[in-house]
Amino acid sequence: MIDIQQVTKEFSGKTAVKNLSLTVEDGKIFGFLGPNGAGKSTTIKMITGILPIEQGKITINGFDITEHPLEAKKRIGYVPDRSDVFLRLKGIEYLNFIADVYDVPTDIRKKRIEYYAKSFGIYESLNDHILTYSHGMRQKIVISGVLLHEPEVWILDEPLTGLDPKSSYTLKEMMREHANKGNIVFFSTHVLEVVEQLCDEVAIINNGHIEFLGNMSEMKQQFQEDDNLEKVFLELTQNE
Amino acid sequence: MNKTWKLVRTIVKMQFSLAGKSTSEQIGYAFLFIFAIPFSIFIFYAIDGIVGGLYNILEPAGNESFILGLLFISMFVVLILVSVGSILSSFYFAEDIESFLSLPYHPFQIMLGKSAVPFITLYVTNAAVLAPGLIVFGMHSGSGVLYYIYALILWTVTPVLPFVLTAIIVMYGMRFLNLSKNKDRMKIFAGLFTFIFIIGINIVLRMNNSSTDAGEDLACLIEEQNGLLNTITTFFPTAYLHSITLTDPVSARGFLFLVLSLIIIACAFVLYLTAGQKLYFKGVLGLSGGSKKKFDEEKITKKIKQSNVLFISWVREMRTIFRTPTFFTQIIVQSLVFPVLFIVVILFDSNGGDFSISSLGSMVEEIEPKRFILAMTGFTVFALGINPASISSISRDGKSWFNHLYMPIKAETVIMSKVWAAFCINLLTLLVIGAVAFIFANIPIGIGVIWFGMSLIINWITSVAGTTLDLYTPNLQWTDEREVFKGRLIGILALIIEVVVFGSIILFLWNVDWLEGLWMTSSILTAAFILLSFVCHLILKKVIRTHYYSIHQ
Repeated sequence: MIDIQQVTKEFSGKTAVKNLSLTVEDGKIFGFLGPNGAGKSTTIKMITGILPIEQGKITINGFDITEHPLEAKKRIGYVPDRSDVFLRLKGIEYLNFIADVYDVPTDIRKKRIEYYAKSFGIYESLNDHILTYSHGMRQKIVISGVLLHEPEVWILDEPLTGLDPKSSYTLKEMMREHANKGNIVFFSTHVLEVVEQLCDEVAIINNGHIEFLGNMSEMKQQFQEDDNLEKVFLELTQNE
Repeated sequence: MNKTWKLVRTIVKMQFSLAGKSTSEQIGYAFLFIFAIPFSIFIFYAIDGIVGGLYNILEPAGNESFILGLLFISMFVVLILVSVGSILSSFYFAEDIESFLSLPYHPFQIMLGKSAVPFITLYVTNAAVLAPGLIVFGMHSGSGVLYYIYALILWTVTPVLPFVLTAIIVMYGMRFLNLSKNKDRMKIFAGLFTFIFIIGINIVLRMNNSSTDAGEDLACLIEEQNGLLNTITTFFPTAYLHSITLTDPVSARGFLFLVLSLIIIACAFVLYLTAGQKLYFKGVLGLSGGSKKKFDEEKITKKIKQSNVLFISWVREMRTIFRTPTFFTQIIVQSLVFPVLFIVVILFDSNGGDFSISSLGSMVEEIEPKRFILAMTGFTVFALGINPASISSISRDGKSWFNHLYMPIKAETVIMSKVWAAFCINLLTLLVIGAVAFIFANIPIGIGVIWFGMSLIINWITSVAGTTLDLYTPNLQWTDEREVFKGRLIGILALIIEVVVFGSIILFLWNVDWLEGLWMTSSILTAAFILLSFVCHLILKKVIRTHYYSIHQ
């Protein structure tokens, strides 16, 4: 479970996130929506321990990210919005590094590296430097790295950006499968169709506040039944 | 033309803008400027010595125009050497090159834009060497205002021809090279070339005792080999024209040669634009394309094995340093500059100076062991203090620093992997210095072993201290790796702190009478260094606590 309680974050006097609270239960795919600069990435960076929290508390499966960062981080698999990871490493060196960080035994990592790299079509590029990869391939190597240790909580910051249709489909299938096993998938996106297609629950954030939190049917009920998600999103964030 | 001008202005503005640069970087630039003042005075006097020496010998025979000829020819060669690296870097290796390719510009317009910054930087060399040379010549020859006006015009146009010729040759060469495969390797070669150039210049300078002597030697050479010099000027027609213009400025011939010089330069510029239009894009397009290698599954499987996190993080650091051309040249090559210069000083100080092999050998025998080990320790501090591996530990990660933060690795592990990387690279410096000391200076084994042991502790302290400083004030917002080293005060700061701290210890022990003998001195030094290393660790731990998670915000 991801539990965010009354979290606030300020950047040189400007409040990026204010008193944000939300809970994501196990077995759910949670969509995190909002316009550019709404506070999505800031929230995600606080959940993953990249940004320190000024007020409030975040726990991942019972571990406080501030009090027990290593325990909490071991349970998270994070795909950042920028895939500029250790570009001078070769694909295989990067995956091996990640597997060492998350203590994945050699025999298991061999199977998983082969499985994920083949699923995303990057297996034959593993001996090349990440620097030479396209944006989509970089995204795929990062996602493969994240999945290597099979974390309970996936946190994905705009994970589908740059992926080809086949890889995008594979990832969406994996997300569904992961949630079905009782795990959490928390992801931010701008693609509203993906939210409609995949999410069990949705939060819409604007100017650092949660404007809506609930499941898809609640969202449709709250607004006019015939409205599509695009209209709902625009209505909620029009005060931008 | 207006559009080209706008492009040039934008590129220059982006390169020289102080926006986004930290205060410490800005202070760094200010310091560089302040340091440049005494340096330029030194250059002025050195050139005055050379030109003055030459003038006194050549003027009676009416041969003083050779001084200007020589000045313009050497300037031409120096400017070509300086241009090669900056043209390659700006035209082909800059990260922003692709963003210009998609703009609706002709190849020659983008080439002009990319030329602006390397061309402007040529004026630093031009101002440092040619300007004082021309002023000194004017002073010795007692020339009038017209000389200085012509000199100013010629000074302004001097960089054009070497730059334009180098750029045409580079563009022609790049047209045929498969750059996409060798981009990184090319960068490393450019870095090594600069390194060899610095060492070469040093060897040449070492071969002469003083600048006045050098001037007189050169003058003798020219008198003997007039024919040869004339042949050389036929290869550099503008140097000939420039020299005649300035030796005889008031005559019609002087004016005519000036106009002729300007016409040649203008023609070269037109040729440059034509070459740019035809050649530039051919070398630059497809630069970012990857190369397809044969896939070897067995090789991949062999690489998959479990390792300790500290070790694998250290491996990652070393790989990044060795594989990033800028890091390789600035850290590995740079760390070799000092020891190699040390070898050059010893081997080429042929006149039996303080650092020649013979005097070092006798110094080892004469000097008392206590002072000898203290002196060697001081030397080691200086050699390791200017090593950039530790002071770039954190900054090297740039915007990808955040990757360390979401992974379940202790902050101490990440930082220690960086300290170990700096330590291992400094070890290279130590091994070269150690080898030279053993082979050439006949240092006794006992002293050598003690020195090496102590150097390892000093190495550890400087690695920890440099990393701490970089963690305290890192530069993570760079777009080009060179910004990690350029204009930062941290290098000088680290050296000052280390020299002050170690210097005080060494100075204290040097002056106390109760301390005598090799063993006692080295025991006390070792104890002091271990204590110092402990203090450094405490400070590093504190800085990790306060800065590790907040530096990227």
